[in-house]
Amino acid sequence: MIPVRAYLALLTTHLREHRARMALLAVLVLGDIAVQLAIPQVVRTIIDDALAGTATDRLVWLAGMVVLAALAHMGLAVAATRVAEEVGWRATNDLRADLADHVLHLDLGFHKQHPPGELLERVDGDVTALSNFFSAMVVKVVGNGVLIAGIVVLLLRESWLVGVTLGVLVGLGILAMGRLHAIAVPWWRRQRAVAAETFGQLGEQVDGTEDIAGNGGGRYMQERFADQLRTWMPLHVRGWMGWALMWGTSEVLQVLLLVAVFVLGAWQLDVGTMTVGTVYLVLNYAEMVGHPLHEIREQMQDLQKAGASIARVEDLLATPTALPPAGTTPLPTGPLGLSLTGVGFAYHDARPDDGTEPKGDAPRVLHDIDLEVPAGRVLGIVGRTGSGKSTLARLVTRLYDPDTGHVRVGGVETAEAADLRDRVAMVTQDVQLFRATVRDNLTFFDPSIDDARLVEAVATLGLDDWLATLPDGLDTRLGGDGVGVSAGQAQLLAFTRVFLRDPGLVVLDEASSRLDPATEAWLERAVDGLLRDRTGVIIAHRLGTLERVDDVLVMADGRVVEHGPRERLRADRDSRYAHLLATGLEEVLT
Amino acid sequence: MTTTTHARGPDATTTAGGLRPLLRLMANQPVRYPISLAVWTLNWTWPVMIGVIAQQYFDGLDGTSADQAGWTLVTVVIALGAYLLVRLAGIFFGMWWHARLLFRAGAGMQRSMLRRIFALPGARPVRESPGEVVSRFRDDVEHTTEALDLSVDFTGSIVSATVSFVLLARIDPVLAMVAFAPMVVVLLVVWTLANRIRRYRESARETTEAVAGFLGETLSATQSIKVNGAERPVLDRFARLNDRRRVMMVRDRTLTAATDAMGQTTGTVGTGLVLLLAAGSLARGGAAGLSVGDFALFGILLAHTSFAAFFIGTFLARIRQAGVSFDRMVDLMDGSTWRDLTVHSELEESLPVPTAPATRVGVVDRVDAPLLAVRGLTHVHPDAAGGIHDVDLQVERGQLVVVTGRVGAGKTTLLQTVLGLLPAERGTIAWHGRTVDDPARFMVPPVAAYTPQVPRLFSMALRDNLLMGTDGDDERLWAAMDTATMTRDLATMPDGLDTMVGPRGMRLSGGQVQRSAAARMLVRGAELVVFDDLSSALDVETEAALWARLFDVDEPATALVVSHRRPALARADHVVVLEAGRVVARGTAAELRRTSAAFRELWG
Repeated sequence: MIPVRAYLALLTTHLREHRARMALLAVLVLGDIAVQLAIPQVVRTIIDDALAGTATDRLVWLAGMVVLAALAHMGLAVAATRVAEEVGWRATNDLRADLADHVLHLDLGFHKQHPPGELLERVDGDVTALSNFFSAMVVKVVGNGVLIAGIVVLLLRESWLVGVTLGVLVGLGILAMGRLHAIAVPWWRRQRAVAAETFGQLGEQVDGTEDIAGNGGGRYMQERFADQLRTWMPLHVRGWMGWALMWGTSEVLQVLLLVAVFVLGAWQLDVGTMTVGTVYLVLNYAEMVGHPLHEIREQMQDLQKAGASIARVEDLLATPTALPPAGTTPLPTGPLGLSLTGVGFAYHDARPDDGTEPKGDAPRVLHDIDLEVPAGRVLGIVGRTGSGKSTLARLVTRLYDPDTGHVRVGGVETAEAADLRDRVAMVTQDVQLFRATVRDNLTFFDPSIDDARLVEAVATLGLDDWLATLPDGLDTRLGGDGVGVSAGQAQLLAFTRVFLRDPGLVVLDEASSRLDPATEAWLERAVDGLLRDRTGVIIAHRLGTLERVDDVLVMADGRVVEHGPRERLRADRDSRYAHLLATGLEEVLT
Repeated sequence: MTTTTHARGPDATTTAGGLRPLLRLMANQPVRYPISLAVWTLNWTWPVMIGVIAQQYFDGLDGTSADQAGWTLVTVVIALGAYLLVRLAGIFFGMWWHARLLFRAGAGMQRSMLRRIFALPGARPVRESPGEVVSRFRDDVEHTTEALDLSVDFTGSIVSATVSFVLLARIDPVLAMVAFAPMVVVLLVVWTLANRIRRYRESARETTEAVAGFLGETLSATQSIKVNGAERPVLDRFARLNDRRRVMMVRDRTLTAATDAMGQTTGTVGTGLVLLLAAGSLARGGAAGLSVGDFALFGILLAHTSFAAFFIGTFLARIRQAGVSFDRMVDLMDGSTWRDLTVHSELEESLPVPTAPATRVGVVDRVDAPLLAVRGLTHVHPDAAGGIHDVDLQVERGQLVVVTGRVGAGKTTLLQTVLGLLPAERGTIAWHGRTVDDPARFMVPPVAAYTPQVPRLFSMALRDNLLMGTDGDDERLWAAMDTATMTRDLATMPDGLDTMVGPRGMRLSGGQVQRSAAARMLVRGAELVVFDDLSSALDVETEAALWARLFDVDEPATALVVSHRRPALARADHVVVLEAGRVVARGTAAELRRTSAAFRELWG
């Protein structure tokens, strides 16, 4: 029922580092149990001795022990929680790091299928369920389980009949609770599913207030949210009734235990096999069973949930990346030539959600591409949306490997290159900024890049004027409570990221589509600087972007339909490039 | 977090550590809450009967007491049966009733928050990221309804503790007081720890948010991180944030465990103290001392009451944590107080319809008044950069007015301010010559409709996305889709208008989202359409078709748009050039080419 084995399998390596802490935890938990079991024994002795007329001194001494034992129980319980939490969080932090590492190295196809929110839930949400798992499991479930077992053993010592009767009752109670639990699990699952749906919808509404407010949809969206809540309420109530079932069962169990204690106790006292103190001891132990059972029950939901979490985490860790790790051949220094021979590609990542293999072959998006960009030259690529331009860029930067043919950079196959990420850079239209300082955004949190280099790169790009307006310079925080950044400024920041890496080949994928012409001109001056002594591949919908390239490549439906020096294509009236220029220029102001 | 509260003065807005909004939540359900309170008080007090039954049992046993009779075994068993029946009824009814009550309380706050968010300027209603907002709706609502939940336990445990004390004091008042002393001590300790509990909980939450926020951004930026080879430093930072959270979490959990343990142990300590004082008198029993039955009553009631004391302690701690959550929710609702958060609304009812728009549509005051006239409009960004200053602008019926300018010139800000999506510091907006008091409420359909620069769709059917509450049949939807050049795409979707677009419209391509958003704007039949850089994700040919269908027709749309695209500028009746938030030139594109250096600089 509780996925202990799966949990241990997942976290063994991480838990192993904390063996000393775990040993300490075992000592604390067992010590606490011993203390709790001892207290009723002392009380029994006090009652029997008192009824027998023993001297008061001894009774006072024994009663003092009860008080001290109670205080010791308190201290041990707190210490055990502390150690268990420490182990749980340390081990799961290691797991979080592993998962984040793994996820970041998975291919883009995977990321396209799993939105950030979902992955966040898996890397942090699911793992957090596991950090609670450890302390809940060890302290609450195992600790209390051992306590119950200890009680039954000690009862057997007093009277086998009483021990067996109470043991059987507790066993039946646990079984009944297990049954009822299985009934309630689907109720809880449905309630969690509707909760997830509700908050998912809410998140996107909050993200889209501009769209909603600007089109007068606020009331509609609020009503939609209320509807969702109305659907949720009966499921929420049913979830609670699941808990009522469990609670009711434990109450029935408690009363049955009392009846057994009272009947058996009276009888055994009558025949003289028990003292009054022993009857009280048995009552005490029977009462003590209730609380640990209650705690175990309380943990059930969390631990069950952990089962699903573990499965999802395992799944994620087992997901292979479609990209084998980087190779070992270092790329040459200086500008890197690019060559594609017979390259074909299809996105295989459109796998159905249910995990089955995709039916049929994925449609090809690139067919038999041959292309040569000598080191130091700049190639411009044009073509309609879906013609394969962006896919080509992703193959060059090795976000994907080609299905057929070869992509070589500096004469080295991309899959073989050791330092492709350092030497080939790409700027996409969609720039992601972090809610962090300007410095961290530019260096991607790499502390080894010093400020002098940063300032120089910023100046080269002409962002220094903007930087000067920021209240804390490089330490200014962006986004959230910090400074806002326009789409254009974000582009410039992305360019700075690339400048800092000093690559040998730069791919600009629609980098300027949201910039106004003046900024674009300004940016292109910076790009000129960047591309000096480097190879460049520029992809754009906009013909103006291509004005300074050496060669032009026109793509359509995943094929190269035209490729040649720009000047020659421009001069050729029948070329597609010339035709495109004409279409574009029809719109020119007259 | 509480700075805004200080600024407004403590009396009007303070939550009194969470107590005042909590009382308001109770008052919002004036029938349901008292019933819950009564049932849960019974549920808390009823187990006292177990102590009484045990007392009677031991006193009825042979050899325990000479003069006290006690019950027979049969009576004891019957009493236990009766006890169980009442107990089960209380639990099942109590859970059923209480679950609905708590859900309603939470739903009320969630609806208030969402309502406030939609009432704030739409372009930037809250500072928090969507993830943080969801956390307020989910976690903070949970923490506060949990406090409401515990409030009935609190009352119940006080009643139960009082009943227990009276029963024990009837046996021996001094002994009863000594036995209860540890519980009083624990309550005092928890009380003094309250601030620390609150502080620890706050840091634990903050560090958790930091982890989630950073991870969320990282996962959104996977491609950038990959192509920049930045995996290592990003993961290092993630590890550092995780480590900080661990320290805070362990601290918080340990303190909670300590208060829990104190509460649960006091019963045993009390029992020990009773034995310490009265063990010697057990043998004498009856009037002379404690009978074994009396001692059993002490033992059981003290154990039960320590459980109650634990709840009293928990409640006092939780109400402080709820105070943090109330503050966080109020903080989200910029410009509101806890009263707005906890305002009463029944889940079954719709929210009240807002009062009529500030200015009526369709009443033309002056025949020559332009459709839209903007004078001296000013919006200053909170962060000083950007903003617009003293912008004048007018749009006549049937005109296409294009706002252009370089990055950061304030083009988007201008559109947003005109639509009331951002607040204007100065300036007026007039519609048919009449001043609009509240653009946020007025500049919506049927007056104006809008497509932002990066439009969003929502996880529902395409049809619902387009309509978003307005009326419209399929014919109208198809017409809007046609103008937005979406029909070819729509034809390839097997479910057509019933296609589920997925979270944030992710199942559609970027261009499809943009054109669907345009259709959403068009289908509203607004007098003025406003859109921001609409064709940024479209290729040249699609873009050309879109502009042609919008404006090269018999009845072209009246439009105010941001664009720096040639097809837009060529068709524009009027072009406004912005620079650093101010209008530097205006006229037709042809005029501007001759007269404006700024425009020539832009267009070469």
